[in-house]
Amino acid sequence: MKSGQFSFVWLFAIVAGGAILFLAVYGALRFGDTARFQSDSEVAKSIAIITDPLQAGFAEGSFGKIMFQQETRINNVCFDDELGKNDISVSTWSGIGEEWNLPGGATSIHNKYIFSSGKSSGLDYYVFSKSFDFPYEVSDLIFLTPENYCFVNMPGGLLSLNVPNIEVDNCSVVDSVRVCFGSGDDCDVMVYGTCSGGCNSVYDEGIVAKDGVDMKYVGDLMYGAIFSDKGIYDCNVRRLMYRAGKIASEFVEKADLMDARNCNTNLKPDLIAWESLVGNSSVDDLASLRSMADVIDGKNKKEGCGMW
Amino acid sequence: MVAKNFVFLGDRLQVTGYRVKNGQMKIQQMAVMIVAVFFFFILVGLFFLGVVFKDVKGSAGDLQREQAISSMSVIADISELNYDSSWSMSVDEDKLRIMSGDFGKNYDLFWPVASIGVYKVYPRFDEIKKCPGVGCNYYEIYDNGQSDVKTYSSYVSICERIRESGSTYDDCEIGKLVVGVRSLTEEMGNR
Repeated sequence: MKSGQFSFVWLFAIVAGGAILFLAVYGALRFGDTARFQSDSEVAKSIAIITDPLQAGFAEGSFGKIMFQQETRINNVCFDDELGKNDISVSTWSGIGEEWNLPGGATSIHNKYIFSSGKSSGLDYYVFSKSFDFPYEVSDLIFLTPENYCFVNMPGGLLSLNVPNIEVDNCSVVDSVRVCFGSGDDCDVMVYGTCSGGCNSVYDEGIVAKDGVDMKYVGDLMYGAIFSDKGIYDCNVRRLMYRAGKIASEFVEKADLMDARNCNTNLKPDLIAWESLVGNSSVDDLASLRSMADVIDGKNKKEGCGMW
Repeated sequence: MVAKNFVFLGDRLQVTGYRVKNGQMKIQQMAVMIVAVFFFFILVGLFFLGVVFKDVKGSAGDLQREQAISSMSVIADISELNYDSSWSMSVDEDKLRIMSGDFGKNYDLFWPVASIGVYKVYPRFDEIKKCPGVGCNYYEIYDNGQSDVKTYSSYVSICERIRESGSTYDDCEIGKLVVGVRSLTEEMGNR
C-alpha cells in the first residue's frame, strides 16, 4: 500500500465501527432514560397506592414515612375542574447538567387531596392525614412533606399524631421550618387564629401567613396551608368544596328515600341551600360557610335517624 | 491508446479499469455490510426493547392490581358510600341506590379502578339482578366498559336506618364489594 493511500478495509472499519459505537452509545443513553422514566413513573404510582392505608378513615389521623434511596423530587400539579385531581410525578437527582432529570409519567389521583409544595425534594418524606368534616365527612386530607417543622406556641392537643418531623416548642433540628402560632421569633410561617364563637380553639379558623401570602383555613385545612403552596392549597380547597356540594346533593336524594320509609328528616331544605353555596365556593368563603356547617351539623345531631 | 474503462484523473493519477472495478466492488461490499450491521443492531434493539417493555407491562399490571386491592377499603369508606364515618367497611344502602343511578355518572373519572359493584350475599341467589328492580341483589356503582376485567372482592355490611314504633335502629345485611382492575393496555388501545 502506498503511503497516504487509504485502504477500503480501513475505511470500512472506521465507518462501520463508528456506526456501531454511535448506535451503542445512543441506545445505552436512550435505554437509561427509558429505565429512569419507568422507575420514576412506578414511584409516582406507588405514592398513590401507599397513601391508601394512610387515609385517616374513622381514626383521628394517620402517619407514615416514605424513604427513597436517592434524592427525589415529588412534583404535585393540582387541577380543580369539578372533582379535579392531583397529578403526582417524580424526578431523580442527576447532578450532571440539569440538576434534576425530567420527571417520569404523572399519576393522576382523583380521589385524594394531596397537600404539598408544587416541587418538594428530599430523601425521606413524611405523610400524614386528617379527616375533613364540613359538616359531614368530605374526605381525608393528605399532607406530604420532606421538611422538618418546629411548631412554636402551638396550643396543646392541636396535633396529637406524634409525627416525627414536627417538633413542638423545644426544637432540636437546626434547619427546621418555624411555624409560630400567634407570636414567636424568626418565624417562617405564622398562624393567626380568628375563631370567636362555637370553637374548641381559637385556631379552629384563621389565617396562615407564609411567603408573603395569606391563606384562610378552617379546621384541619390549617395543616394544608402550612405544608403546601398557595396554588396547591387553593386548588385542593376548591376541589373539596365541589365534592362537599356533590355529597350534599346525594344527601338531598337520600332524604327522599329516608322519608319514604318513615325515617323523616327536616334537613332537606338546609342541604339544598348548602349544596348551592358550597359547590362553587373558594378559600375566601370558608369562614362564613363554617358557621352554617355548624348549624346544619347541630340539626343533624338532633334528628332521630340522622343523615350522617 | 487508452483502454475503454480507463479513467484519467488529472496528470498524476491514472486508475485502471481493473482497479475501478475492484474499488466499486469493495464500496458495494461495505455498503451492504453497513446496512447489515444497522439491521442487526436494530433487530437486537427491538428484541431488547420487547423484553424490557414486557417487564414494564408486567410492572404496570402489578401496580394496577395492587391499587385495586388497596382501594377497596378506601372505596367502602368513602363519604359517598359509607354508612357511618365511625364504621369501617360498611356501606349505606340508600347511597348505593343513589350512586348506582344517574347521580353516579358525576364520578366517572373519580375511581382508580375499572369497576365497582356491591351485591348482597344473603339470601343466596341463582342469578344477579341489577338494581333498581324487584328482588334485585346487585348495585353497579361504576363500570368503565373494559372487557375481561380481573376482579377482587371483600365483605362489607350493607346498612340502612329504620324507624319502627318510635325507635330507630341500624338494619344491616352481609354484602360483597367487588372492584375490577383497570387494564392499562386496553385504555391505551382506546386512545
